[in-house]
Amino acid sequence: MAEIRLSGVTKRWGSFIGVDKFDLTIADREFLVLLGPSGCGKTTTMRMIAGLEDPTDGEILIDGKVVNDLEPKDRDVAMVFQSYALYPNLNVYENIRFPLRVRGVDPATHDEKVRRASAMVELDEFLHRKPAELSGGQRQRVALARAIVREPNVFLMDEPLSNLDAKLRVSTRAQIKNLSHELAVTTIYVTHDQIEAMTLADRVVVMEKGVVQQVGSPTEIYDKPANTFVASFIGSPAMNLIDGRAEGGVFRADRTEIANLPVGDGAVTLGFRAEDAVVARDGGQITAPIYTLELLGDATMVSVRIGGALVSAKADKTFRAEIGEMISIRVPNEHCHLFDARTGARIGD
Amino acid sequence: MKFKTFAAFVGPSVLMMLLFIAFPLVKVFWQSFNVTQPVYETVEVEKCTPGFLTQICTTEFQTIPQLDDNGDVVTRTTYVGLQSYRNVLEMERFWTAAKAWSWSGIMTIDFWKALRFTLMFTLVTLPLVVGVGLLIALAINNAAAAIRGPVIFVSLLPFIITPVIGALSINWLFRGDGILTALLEHWLDRDLALFAQAWTIELMMMFYRVWHVAPFAAIIFYAGLQTVNQDSLESAIIDGATRWQRLRLIIVPHLMPLIIFVAIIHLMDTYRVFEEIVGFRSQGYVISLQWLTYDFLTPDQAGNRSISRASASAMLTMIGIAVLLVPLLKRTWRDHRGTS
Repeated sequence: MAEIRLSGVTKRWGSFIGVDKFDLTIADREFLVLLGPSGCGKTTTMRMIAGLEDPTDGEILIDGKVVNDLEPKDRDVAMVFQSYALYPNLNVYENIRFPLRVRGVDPATHDEKVRRASAMVELDEFLHRKPAELSGGQRQRVALARAIVREPNVFLMDEPLSNLDAKLRVSTRAQIKNLSHELAVTTIYVTHDQIEAMTLADRVVVMEKGVVQQVGSPTEIYDKPANTFVASFIGSPAMNLIDGRAEGGVFRADRTEIANLPVGDGAVTLGFRAEDAVVARDGGQITAPIYTLELLGDATMVSVRIGGALVSAKADKTFRAEIGEMISIRVPNEHCHLFDARTGARIGD
Repeated sequence: MKFKTFAAFVGPSVLMMLLFIAFPLVKVFWQSFNVTQPVYETVEVEKCTPGFLTQICTTEFQTIPQLDDNGDVVTRTTYVGLQSYRNVLEMERFWTAAKAWSWSGIMTIDFWKALRFTLMFTLVTLPLVVGVGLLIALAINNAAAAIRGPVIFVSLLPFIITPVIGALSINWLFRGDGILTALLEHWLDRDLALFAQAWTIELMMMFYRVWHVAPFAAIIFYAGLQTVNQDSLESAIIDGATRWQRLRLIIVPHLMPLIIFVAIIHLMDTYRVFEEIVGFRSQGYVISLQWLTYDFLTPDQAGNRSISRASASAMLTMIGIAVLLVPLLKRTWRDHRGTS
């Protein structure tokens, strides 16, 4: 049982701000994902919660108790690292037993705990091996077992899947999701991969340059991005963004005209997702020659160039056309997202 | 790589090694089984002293080295088997003393006296050099970046100093009127004569050797510390490991190949301890195997050098080093096989 509260948590190195006034309450048993590009402060935030980094300002509370001055070992957190961080000279069994050993847990209980943890991550057969004799996926499972073996209050996971190949990433992701469901422990998970965030999280925190951009459920983040950064970061492909002007509810940009939008006059950025657009031969609001055509198997991705930006729309998987051919893209009004062109903030809801 | 290219690169160094290492080694090995001595002949010499009216002449026999046509001494080399080794080891005296349980009896034999000191010197300084080296390396590693350079320089200083000069300076510091002796006497409020008995001299020699070699170990370990996986260390911090547990369970195992390396180098070096004996002028109390070899090579009053005994002593020194290295090499071999 652990609720984590961050109150105005800030990390500065000289004049560089790593994390800026981070405020958030993470509920007990919640699976929270910190998402953002490299250098956005997500790992720093996690390291401050773990106690590996001291916040310059602000307070970190676990279960209502300020832990700023507590040593990492006294915070009752367990952490899984991107590089696995196994102890190369110890075998799998001893790696998993390590936290019990150094914490002076009753030795009589070690074997049972280690075997239970290793069974949860399906490592029973590898207990006698050294980390060097394991594959990447197996190593990360050792790291997971080492984290769960002493039943901590909080799990911290720092890009645990980043070093794995694509296929293994999917299966290990599923395993983490299943584990978190079984263990029901507050988990903070750092990633730059939005698919991991969408699939695993109860709530996602999107960060950029040390500042929280949006906090919400995966659906909220996907359906109602708070600004152009979130819009362009979440989704594959990312949301199409077109800079233009609105006048009397009509949005106009290069080769684009969309009417009846709830927006005041001025410079705005219009966004829509590729799967929300409809590709037609004519009659759409965007008319342009095809720039590329990508066959994805389940669909065909059609891209055109609007202004400087590439705008994509998902067409039926049987759709075929030549590059350079004129097509028309229709964007239903209810799927249009409008952002302030200057600040990037969302207009309306 | 083609054999020709390989040979072109490796050839010169193999040649040098054969010429300057292998050949002398074989020669020493051969010399330890053979004795080369001048050939003497007995000649009848008539010596006359001037006298009044008649000279007084006496005839006597003299043994003199035979000379060849060029006037050089003629020598003859004879195979003596293990006799030179017997001469060095003096086993009969050793067994007599051993049977009488007389430690001091054994210690009157030069070889055993030298072996006792050499072994003790080697085995006592080894853990100290590794331990102190590791401590210095950890200190450098934990020093703030700004002072790291000066700290490295200061800790390397003892290693840069020429061994004989270093030993001499320790000698001067601790001799009867040395400043450190004066300081210790003032502090302990009693007279000290650190060069008056063997054990204090040995203590100072070991102190000097550790002081001299620990920086070498430290710089090797410091390099090794840079490759410790930081994530593993942080993971151990979160897992709850204390500083000592992190050192024992993560850092030292990681450094183990380097510790073995330093140990091997140190064993080979220390078993041949020599400079300290010279620097401390301790041969009256304490001698080492290497010094014994040197002593055999020093010409006696007749100008003869015991090359054969020196060779035997050198071979015995080498055998001693090999015996000490076996466990370390075995471990390295096991690790090597384990990883490959």
